[in-house]
Amino acid sequence: MKQIINLTINDKKYEVAVDANLTLLDLLRYQLGLTGAKKGCELGDCGACAVIMDGKPVNSCLVLAVSANGKDITTIEGLEDENGLHPLQQSFVEKGAIQCGFCTSGMILSGKTLLDKNPNPTDKEVRSAISGNLCRCTGYQKIIEAVQSVDSDI
Amino acid sequence: MLLPKFDFYEPKTSEEACNIINEYGLKAKPIAGGTDLLVNMKHKLLSPAALVSLSEIAEFNKLEISDNAVKIGSCFTIFDIAESAKIEKKLSALCAGARALGTPLIRNLATIGGNLGSARPAADIPPSLIAYNAKAVLKSASGERTVLLDKFFKGPGFTEMQPNEILTEIIIDIPNERYGAGYINLGVRKAQDCNIVNAASFISLDDSNGVIHSARIVMGCVGPTHLRANLAEDILIGNKPSEKLLEQAAKSAEAECKPIDDFRGSATYKKAMIGVLTKRTLDIAVKEASLR
Repeated sequence: MKQIINLTINDKKYEVAVDANLTLLDLLRYQLGLTGAKKGCELGDCGACAVIMDGKPVNSCLVLAVSANGKDITTIEGLEDENGLHPLQQSFVEKGAIQCGFCTSGMILSGKTLLDKNPNPTDKEVRSAISGNLCRCTGYQKIIEAVQSVDSDI
Repeated sequence: MLLPKFDFYEPKTSEEACNIINEYGLKAKPIAGGTDLLVNMKHKLLSPAALVSLSEIAEFNKLEISDNAVKIGSCFTIFDIAESAKIEKKLSALCAGARALGTPLIRNLATIGGNLGSARPAADIPPSLIAYNAKAVLKSASGERTVLLDKFFKGPGFTEMQPNEILTEIIIDIPNERYGAGYINLGVRKAQDCNIVNAASFISLDDSNGVIHSARIVMGCVGPTHLRANLAEDILIGNKPSEKLLEQAAKSAEAECKPIDDFRGSATYKKAMIGVLTKRTLDIAVKEASLR
């Protein structure tokens, strides 16, 4: 039986009917067409499906859609505004921190959560913040540089 | 990777949760963070007829800290424990375990109750809690009981908890005398790794003469459940902490643990590392106790 849930995604309110066994990731990708969160391992290992839920990055493959009722979700689609890319997205582009791009949305959301709390993170703090996001291209160094080079005044 | 079908309940009170679980009998499972349960369900290892979410029960998300006890609701997340300055002040080894668990993405979902209930022998949260002599409160439709965590684990994935019970909170009594504890885990990577071995040590000091009043050493990944190093504890109790005494206790713990050879490491290596981690966690415990 489907249940009705209400949630906010990228500042937009949604009311959707979901099956109990639907994950938040599948809700985003297949019911709402928000394909920025990627489907990687589906077991909470790779972090490609990361979204920010009530201010904290989580693996959306391990969140039931029904449990996201009332939650505030930010996906990678929610970062860009009328002025263009989010500074961290811009920094990823400029530093060449994107190779195949599969881990990028998760990396950026983990990085953004860190920068929101700590605008000038150390190398170790960045590495720790993205430790749940795996990059199979192994381009970690440029990702770390991209997170650290965001202008903290913006 | 589809989840099997199930009915979903999100009760607001623990009584309501107990009643739903009681109705379903063995076929219902409580869910908190879901980081372990949903993975097992995706692997089709488990297929409960109903999931009863405990996350919306207010009393399960509380943290109560007084001079003589810390009470942590079972749905308190690992992130909240890792970041809590109040918990760090009283239970630093628990925070060390929380920081070592999984990844930030997992810690934001995973809960203290889930890490105990899943009963993995390599888990990061149980060693320090056993070392602090923590208790788990279990509730069912027919009543409530308190179980010492040292007696809670029965084997990999098995606990004292009955299918009709839910874990409501963890209680840690704060000792009257000066105390300290340490937790260290050893893995190949710093994040997202199953521990090769882990250990937690707790000591309290007699205020009058500085001798060790009580000691608990807990070793992980070296048996079907976390093991206590009873002989090592006996070596410590009644003596003043010294480099030689701690080394002697660590050697004893090394001899007491019973690891197996597996792909994570040989039994010989794990034994040796239990010795090293016991010594290091005892060092942390003694230092913390003497500064308190």
